[in-house]
Amino acid sequence: MSNLEIGLASFPALLILIFIRVPIGLAMFLVGLVGLYFTTGSFNLPLARLKSETFSTFSSYSLSIVPMFLLMGHFATLGGMSSALFKAAESFLGHRKGGIAMAAIGACAGFGSICGSSLATAATMGRVALPQLRKYGYSGGFSTATLAAGGTLGILIPPSIVLVIYAILTEQNIAKLFLAAFIPGILAALGYVIAISIYVRLHPEAAGVKAAVPYAERFAALFKVWPVLLVFALVVGGIYQGWFTPTEGAAVGAAGTGFIAWMNKGLTRSTLIESFLVTAKSSAMIFFIILGAGFYNGFLALTQVPQEISNFVVSQGFSPWVVLSIILLFYLVFGCLMDSLSMILLTIPIFFPVIVELDFGMSQEQIAIWFGILVLIVVEVGLITPPVGMNLFVINAMDRSTPLVQTYKVVMYFVASDIARVILLVAFPAITLFWLRA
Amino acid sequence: MPGLSAWALDLGVGPINGDFELVEAGVAFAIFAFLPLCQISAGHASVDIFTAKLPMRINRVLQLGIDVIFAIVLISIAYQLYNGMLSKQSYGDTTFLLQFPIWWAYAASLSGAVLTAVIAFYVAGIRAVECLRGEDILSQEPGLDL
Repeated sequence: MSNLEIGLASFPALLILIFIRVPIGLAMFLVGLVGLYFTTGSFNLPLARLKSETFSTFSSYSLSIVPMFLLMGHFATLGGMSSALFKAAESFLGHRKGGIAMAAIGACAGFGSICGSSLATAATMGRVALPQLRKYGYSGGFSTATLAAGGTLGILIPPSIVLVIYAILTEQNIAKLFLAAFIPGILAALGYVIAISIYVRLHPEAAGVKAAVPYAERFAALFKVWPVLLVFALVVGGIYQGWFTPTEGAAVGAAGTGFIAWMNKGLTRSTLIESFLVTAKSSAMIFFIILGAGFYNGFLALTQVPQEISNFVVSQGFSPWVVLSIILLFYLVFGCLMDSLSMILLTIPIFFPVIVELDFGMSQEQIAIWFGILVLIVVEVGLITPPVGMNLFVINAMDRSTPLVQTYKVVMYFVASDIARVILLVAFPAITLFWLRA
Repeated sequence: MPGLSAWALDLGVGPINGDFELVEAGVAFAIFAFLPLCQISAGHASVDIFTAKLPMRINRVLQLGIDVIFAIVLISIAYQLYNGMLSKQSYGDTTFLLQFPIWWAYAASLSGAVLTAVIAFYVAGIRAVECLRGEDILSQEPGLDL
């Protein structure tokens, strides 16, 4: 077999391993190892690489941002900030048709600005919002679908761990990517609110009514949200202004949210230890996937497969928009099966060289940032797409009385809103790049 | 805010010499120290929608196979990290600013890598017992956190 054939054969091999439940990091590592054996004829090269590659992968200044953001997310779930956000949003929106569901979306968006994880956002807001939704007569499937969709705002609205990984893989500026994610994140929240208002108009029986709250109370509730705003402004603003590096910003954010959680009496000895343990476990998992992906992609680069695919696509003269659409469609399908981080680590080294070579009438940096945001969104849609969206499972586990099928039915409204937004962002790159104009 | 930064600098607040190097050595040690925890609590992300339908017995055998391979991989990683440490030691490489020997950082990481290898070996053993007895001892639940 030629190197190119070995490289191409590695795709199905990897997929089979992943589908028989081999941990994704281990699967990539193994295929990389065996692939290097076949391309070089011995295990000497992979073993020699192992001498320094584990250490050099883990001892990364830019990757040390990952545990910091994870810890920040865990602290955020402790601090009573979720209920403050929800109360503020509820006091402004609660009396509208489907208003409590809209408030849940708004609170998720606010929570997403201090938490970079989708599942944590869905689970935390679920604890706060599900009881209120039930109290005012919102149907089970409607409530669970809303929170599952709202959870995806956690990753989309900066800070976002997946976006950090994308930035490192493609050597882009993290601050610019965060800034670019901001408008699509707001659009996502608005799109979900529109989806809710369409749903309640078609199914008026699915939502109850709540009396309006006086304006004085609304602003009092809004005022209680200031710690969230402060942390968000400090972290994202500070990184963008260059006050500190992204890693330092994440450390400031983790310390800040920890402090707020402590002020709100959410941080006790046991929750602190729990937060550390979960962060440690998740960090180890993520870094091991990064190690496996590095090993696999090193092998793939040796077989020239990414370059050949890129050359092939460019030389065929396909329309860039068709290529982009096919790639996004691929993510949409596979996002239903795999977690977002593994997807990005696995596919970006293959797709990214193709995308930046195509002529979209933009600079390479603009394409890189725009493509990153698009990929982030389509991968996130996978989290709420039946049958295996992780967010759906997390929320449904919190509300056993609602069958999963009911959640599936309503969540399609949110998926439709997501797809409409992807089309909008593909058609008008300027929306994503609005704040990056030089 | 020049006034504020001047004031802060006067107080002795300022960049720590070699902060990059310290973070780099520290995060490598931290991740190697976290890996044993991830290993024993089956925290590695995996896709289980296709295997969920298979009988319990097949799943146990599958898990045994996966954990045996995992143990072999993690033992090789620890062993090669040890070799890497020896070569850094013999070359006498040091970091750029603080000039501390790089093999120190390797040695710190190696402690975690060795513990991970031992635990992976233990987990593989437990899986073999699970296969023989036909009952679960350790959790198989993936711990996805994203």
